[in-house]
Amino acid sequence: MDIGFSVEETRFREECRDWLHANVPAEKRPLDAADAIGFDKAWQRRLFDAGWAGINWPADYGGRGLSIVQQVIWLEEYAKAHAPWIGANFVGINHGGPTLILNASEEQKAYHLPRILKGEAIWCQGFSEPGAGSDLAGIKTRGRIEGDELVVNGSKIWTSFAHVADWQELVLRTEEGSQRHAGLSWAICDMHAPGITVRPIRKMSGQTEFAEVFYDDVRIPLSNVVGGLGNGWKVAMSTLSFERGTGFIAEQVKAGQEIAELVTTARANGMIKDDRIADQLSQMRAEVAALRAMTYRNISEVVRTGQPGPEASVIRLFTAELGQRLERMAVLLIGEDLIDFAYGDDNAVQDYLRGFASTIAGGTAQIQRDIIGERLLGLPKSR
Amino acid sequence: MDLTLNDEQEALRTATADWCRDHMPLEGARSRPAGLWGDLETMGWTGMTAPGLDLDHATEAVVFSELGRVLAPIGLISTAAAHRWFADSIDGKVALALPADEPRDMRVLDPGGANVALMWTAGGLRLFDMPNDRTHAPTIDPSTDQSRQEWTASVGTKDAAAPLHLQLLAAAYAVGCADAARDMAADYAKLRHQFDRPIGWFQALKHICSDMAVRAAVARSQLHYAACSLDARDTDAAFHIAAAKRLGDQAALDNGRANIQVHGGIGMTDEAAPHLCLKRAHLLQFIAPADAALLLEDAA
Ligand SMILES: Cc1cc2nc3c(=O)[nH]c(=O)nc-3n(C[C@H](O)[C@H](O)[C@H](O)COP(=O)(O)OP(=O)(O)OC[C@H]3O[C@@H](n4cnc5c(N)ncnc54)[C@H](O)[C@@H]3O)c2cc1C
Repeated sequence: MDIGFSVEETRFREECRDWLHANVPAEKRPLDAADAIGFDKAWQRRLFDAGWAGINWPADYGGRGLSIVQQVIWLEEYAKAHAPWIGANFVGINHGGPTLILNASEEQKAYHLPRILKGEAIWCQGFSEPGAGSDLAGIKTRGRIEGDELVVNGSKIWTSFAHVADWQELVLRTEEGSQRHAGLSWAICDMHAPGITVRPIRKMSGQTEFAEVFYDDVRIPLSNVVGGLGNGWKVAMSTLSFERGTGFIAEQVKAGQEIAELVTTARANGMIKDDRIADQLSQMRAEVAALRAMTYRNISEVVRTGQPGPEASVIRLFTAELGQRLERMAVLLIGEDLIDFAYGDDNAVQDYLRGFASTIAGGTAQIQRDIIGERLLGLPKSR
Repeated sequence: MDLTLNDEQEALRTATADWCRDHMPLEGARSRPAGLWGDLETMGWTGMTAPGLDLDHATEAVVFSELGRVLAPIGLISTAAAHRWFADSIDGKVALALPADEPRDMRVLDPGGANVALMWTAGGLRLFDMPNDRTHAPTIDPSTDQSRQEWTASVGTKDAAAPLHLQLLAAAYAVGCADAARDMAADYAKLRHQFDRPIGWFQALKHICSDMAVRAAVARSQLHYAACSLDARDTDAAFHIAAAKRLGDQAALDNGRANIQVHGGIGMTDEAAPHLCLKRAHLLQFIAPADAALLLEDAA
């Protein structure tokens, strides 16, 4: 065990820092997805051109082919530099691309991966349905095979960035009469295809960032199926393992920045003199340190064995709940100003309201606790 | 950067766990055999980082969390630290004195078989002679006795790493204690049936166990990081070790409580083991506690 970085890694960190210092945009990322899409694409393109996109993706598909440790270093510096959230590129970068790298054909990878890295193609995730939330295996959207195409009917919901996306990770039932985990497929769906209707949905924090998606005889070439027909559950699980695993590193790293700012704020406005607040802050300071240690440990595990350890589900839950505690503290510290919150404000209240997502999206806290109990502790399956 | 155990550490961890299972099981914590201390010395746990053995703190923390898991004697903490910092002035077991203000009597934990006691304060470690004519009294932790004594002649070290070392070992004990409670609860939740199924099937119980796993994993990660920071003599080491102690203590206490709830009625008995973890956790809170103000300081 050691926590030191190599000379090469330290030099890499300096490069990251220098570039970010000179290039982080002065203007804030717009809140609403429709307004932010231009910003997100342009920023991703700049990252790509400068060699900061896909740091640990294979070089053959536009990545840098560097280590995951370097990816983490980049994200640490990224957070310190207050660089913008990658926004609409979230799905493609954090789990769409990684799923393709692991499961897709050469052609699929060669076409899609560089476009994701360049910010040319925005992806969204079509997993959840009105009847299939926590119980993802309840998916009803179906694809009938006709010649070399799937003809898709059904609907998805809570699809983040659907209204600005070009492609979708679509999990659907391709075997008629199949039940639960069997008979599903993971397909690349063109969001501009005829028959797709997107109805954006507004969040309680004001912005319109997710949507309901309807499919009416949408045609998808069979060559867009990833990992083989009928293997959708397996591929979807790999997507979720990225979404819940390495996809959260950016947030884990950001927490370190946030707690430091909270302590500064509490000092400045004197609220740190309240013992309960001081105690909560010191607790969170320790927790944030532990989160970084856990992240490093998980990354070490990936370096050593090629995959995240069984504790990835623990990190996911802990990150989500710690993030919410930080957001609640931030709201406490702004005091009465909370009353003035209006849609469009980009402040602690905004973050607090958005933050409810972290124990819902990508598997709720309850589902994560089931997973920890069953897979880590070996308790009997409840379902 | 690598926070996984290397092969040597993994081998030592397994060997420690195996030995403890056979010779020092948790269930026997309240009445350890007379010759146990000699065995602990033979195993090398009384001076892993002392001159001669010179293992690193990361390895020591891994081993001490295994020892903490079976509620090994508290005196191991003070003895291991004393052998690192006072190698020339001691021989054999060293008891652990809690910080006290002179001239108030000092409270010495696990005094049996020791001639000297090591006192931790945030500023340093000090070694005190122990009187021969002393009485031993029980503590809340059935595995640990105590004695009281007046201030005696002492030697001390002001090396900033010394109190951090002892605090790290106490944190490792706490992490082990949290692990023990988690495993005891999960095992029982698989074994005990009600309503025709194992109680661990019920989410209300399963989620209690999951939270125990989260607390233990969080504290363990910070422990390993903290140990490495002490090995590297990082400027942040004091912060990281305090964080490890705080999270370890909390995990031990919360898991200790949760474990009793998972066990139901039997969890409240003197005969069953859950209370041993809870009481150890309470005792550990007073050993080299984390300074909340330090956790708020700017560095780190
Ligand atoms: C901001 C946001 C963005 C999202 N983006 C996407 C996206 O891009 N793509 C996508 O596919 N999905 C997305 N989702 C959907 C998300 O994955 C689901 O909301 C989530 O899986 C929960 O499903 P549900 O909303 O149907 O809630 P339900 O499953 O109906 O759950 C309701 C409540 O019941 C609890 N519950 C359900 N089942 C159990 C059980 N077995 N045991 C204990 N408790 C249970 C849940 O924990 C929850 O508290 C997003 C969600 C949010 C909030």
